[in-house]
Amino acid sequence: MVKIYNDYKDHADFLTVYVREAHPTDEWQMKSNVKEDVCYAQPKTLEQRVAIAKDFVQRQKYPLPFGIDDMNNAADLAYSAWPERLYILDEHGRVAYAGGMGPFNYNPDEVRAWLAKRFGAVTQTSSAAAPSEP
Amino acid sequence: MSRFWKWTLGSFVGLLVAAFVGLSFMAGSPKDVYGLVRYALPHMHRGKLRAGDDAPDVKLLTLDGSSHFHLRERTGARPLVVIFGSYT
Repeated sequence: MVKIYNDYKDHADFLTVYVREAHPTDEWQMKSNVKEDVCYAQPKTLEQRVAIAKDFVQRQKYPLPFGIDDMNNAADLAYSAWPERLYILDEHGRVAYAGGMGPFNYNPDEVRAWLAKRFGAVTQTSSAAAPSEP
Repeated sequence: MSRFWKWTLGSFVGLLVAAFVGLSFMAGSPKDVYGLVRYALPHMHRGKLRAGDDAPDVKLLTLDGSSHFHLRERTGARPLVVIFGSYT
């Protein structure tokens, strides 16, 4: 998504929304997260959630605008966001693209295709190594 | 045990094994089947928003944790790509 952001940030706005953890240590932890030292318990407070989001942005040098879901998980519930999902909202506040539930149906190529159809194909930049999440 | 019940039991066990193998493939390994069933499967039917629907407005916290903003504040001028996810 960082590459798509770099390619289309002059045409569209981007917002990453951090929602509850998908593979925390106290739920369904993945071996890959242990290997990469990405080990967090599911946040119980907003301060803990903010701290993990900050860790992610700093460690991954993540450049996209960022927001954090509240502890009532309102964004997650409204957008069926967990564990990861992509949307495009149009200028009128309507859903223009609704992606599938990640990781199996998380498809950034569909977002790129939507943007390319609207603004033309853009591949002008070669960004640094992009983080895989979110 | 009658032939009928042998076939029924055998079919049931076969289905269980097939389901476990399928879930192991989806989860990544047999050890992750519990996590997939416990945490992921209950959410796999979710996702009712479709293209053309009004985008729900939600209140979000800024990364520094100091203030809130509304998602819909970011819409209007240009299309908004929204990426939901977490670190793990």
